[in-house]
Amino acid sequence: MTPGTPFSATDTAEVFGILSTQSTRLVSIFGSIDEAGNPWVHYLVDVASHEYRVLHVPAAGAIPSATFITPAAAWYERELHDQFGVTVDGHPDPRPLVFHENWPKGVHPMAQDVSGVPFASGEYQFLKIDGVGVCEVPVGPVHAGIIEPGHFRFSVVGDTILHLELRHFYTHKGTEKLFQGKPASNGTMIAESVSGDNCFAHAVAYCQAVEAACDTSVPVRAQGIRLIGLELERMMAHIGDVGALCGDVGFMVPAARAAQLKEELLRMSAKVVGTRYWRGISAPGGVTRDISTSDQSLLRQTIASVAREFAELAQMILETPSVQNRFESTGELKPLVARDFAVVGPVARASGVHLDVRHDHPYGAYRNRPFVPVTYHYGDVLSRARVRIDETHASAVLLDQALGELPSGEVLHKMSVTTDAQGFSAVESPRGELLYWIELRGGKIARCHIKSPSFQNWPALPLTMPGNIIADFPLINKSFNLSYSGCDR
Amino acid sequence: MILNVVRNGLKSPRVLIPIEELLGNADGSRIPEVQPALLTKAIAESIKDACPTSAFAIEEAGQGSVLALDYGKCVGCGQCFAPSEGAVVPAHILACCGASRNGLVKRWDVERRQEIVADEVALDQAAKEIRAIVGRALNVRQLDAGSCNGCEAEIAAMTNPYYDLERFSIHFVASPKHADMLLVTGPVTRNMAEAVKRTYAATPSPKLVVAVGACGISGGIFDGSHAVVGGVSAVLPVDGYIPGCPPTPAMLLSGILRVLQGQEVNSKTSSKV
Repeated sequence: MTPGTPFSATDTAEVFGILSTQSTRLVSIFGSIDEAGNPWVHYLVDVASHEYRVLHVPAAGAIPSATFITPAAAWYERELHDQFGVTVDGHPDPRPLVFHENWPKGVHPMAQDVSGVPFASGEYQFLKIDGVGVCEVPVGPVHAGIIEPGHFRFSVVGDTILHLELRHFYTHKGTEKLFQGKPASNGTMIAESVSGDNCFAHAVAYCQAVEAACDTSVPVRAQGIRLIGLELERMMAHIGDVGALCGDVGFMVPAARAAQLKEELLRMSAKVVGTRYWRGISAPGGVTRDISTSDQSLLRQTIASVAREFAELAQMILETPSVQNRFESTGELKPLVARDFAVVGPVARASGVHLDVRHDHPYGAYRNRPFVPVTYHYGDVLSRARVRIDETHASAVLLDQALGELPSGEVLHKMSVTTDAQGFSAVESPRGELLYWIELRGGKIARCHIKSPSFQNWPALPLTMPGNIIADFPLINKSFNLSYSGCDR
Repeated sequence: MILNVVRNGLKSPRVLIPIEELLGNADGSRIPEVQPALLTKAIAESIKDACPTSAFAIEEAGQGSVLALDYGKCVGCGQCFAPSEGAVVPAHILACCGASRNGLVKRWDVERRQEIVADEVALDQAAKEIRAIVGRALNVRQLDAGSCNGCEAEIAAMTNPYYDLERFSIHFVASPKHADMLLVTGPVTRNMAEAVKRTYAATPSPKLVVAVGACGISGGIFDGSHAVVGGVSAVLPVDGYIPGCPPTPAMLLSGILRVLQGQEVNSKTSSKV
């Protein structure tokens, strides 16, 4: 480490050398400003699926773009420019990403004070697709269902999609900047509001990052309770998603049944931990709530019965010819594209990419627990549905084990965070690899970066579209089930 | 094959929650309820200090101090429970939602250890007109102005077989042009402000706007962010408020019905001495 700088510096040549290696996966690129006011760019990579590495590059001048080495870098570099004003040389698409026309050019919130920024105006340049019979279909940001806002610009010939362009970040709330200056203990509730439907994964990833930075251990019982919360959240998400996929093909019986099974788990959570989505349960140093022995058996019974009923339901769904007809070969994400865009989670595993944080980088109670990720190879809607169905079963098995052998002891190590430190931690959220990187100065959060699985996976969605019909878009989109707020932050 | 579907449908147990159990229920939200009998000045201070969103405040009145709780800012984080020594507990019943922003703020006289009951709130004119036109058959358009999707998850849950929103003749519609009510979630982001205004303009009058969740009511934890304009009232006239982070399906349903009925917001409390 160079004296006076917080990080041991490297250069982009070394970073790009590592990124060019076949076995290296880009996890995230993000910026920070050190105490002296100098900008840094951090490259987080996963080497051979078993080692995370963070490489720090000083960014006083322009940095070259990594997008031609790994297309997964494209959005990260655009965000880096929007937020920090770092110039990325040779980027194939230097349009603003996070900020829309209402945001004045040249204003970079992470690098300067942005109180009272005036509203600007302008027009966004979509990619123009020309040709005989090509029409544009704009959809959103306000959609027809109870879903989040985002804009989709289709170029179609008849019903067939030639090209889809995404325009997101309508729900951008400046969340990463909101963390700054807060005491580490108050960051959890901000993390819980990044993507509300998997708030527990966000809370645990955040808390683990703080614990890693402060080198604090978590009581084994708290680790067990976190695993229970994480796997329950996954079950709820996957059951809900499979039901919603049925809803999108007009198959309402299983849609209603799945919603009912998900609700059973939510109501049981409210009974056992006092909150339906496990909000406020994780805290730096452990969990705020213990689970009694009687609640453990209630959990085991309910989970077992929900898992059994869902398995029956799933079998019925998969055996239904009209479902097979709509799901099979729809919205294929090819394995090569999945790797190029470094997609994560069920979307990656449905395209044959072996990738699961629980297996590759085990954390908390997942350590020393044999675990085989579920993978399929066709990358279509059916594969993504099957991954979720199989993972629901796997989660139920994990939950049964964890509840059966929950260690005794305390659940919270009180932490008083006063140090200058950095740390990061990843969890496998229901949508995939979710990582928090945190820098503390004097116990206050100086920088918090969130690598969200949705930010990673959204750019890959348009590549599944060409050749599909526009009526299948909601189904394909649902099979990815990405969070807009998690992406936009 | 289709027999399997029918069999599976018939096999599912009846889980519908009776209306009387549903209305006002706040279980699973961790929204706090104050037990005024246990209040002391020291406890009131520590409750206020523990609250990370400034939902609790202490107002110095003429005779003594008043503990105020703004349910529109509370995110149910639960940090007030431990230091309150039992004076704050998770609420089972939340009567505090409905037609007025002020009605979301409750106050307790710390010395006398009792609630200060607010005045009644008049029925909103738009609610009256809509009631006259549709009775209780209400078409709702959900509008996400920048939410974290926690509220969306709970709004979607209202349609599941436990809550069965349709039994109240309330439907979600796909277009604002078909809607009587806009159910707006999230802080309004800079990037959504224009779309929110246009959606409102596309909704025919008379119309009701309901701000959902701490973010919709006050901007919540995102208030003051450079990328956020504020709560829903920063861009639209608001007729109703449903607190919570996120509000549970029962709270949402109670809130919608209450806004429609223009019921008084603060008259029924479970914590009166």
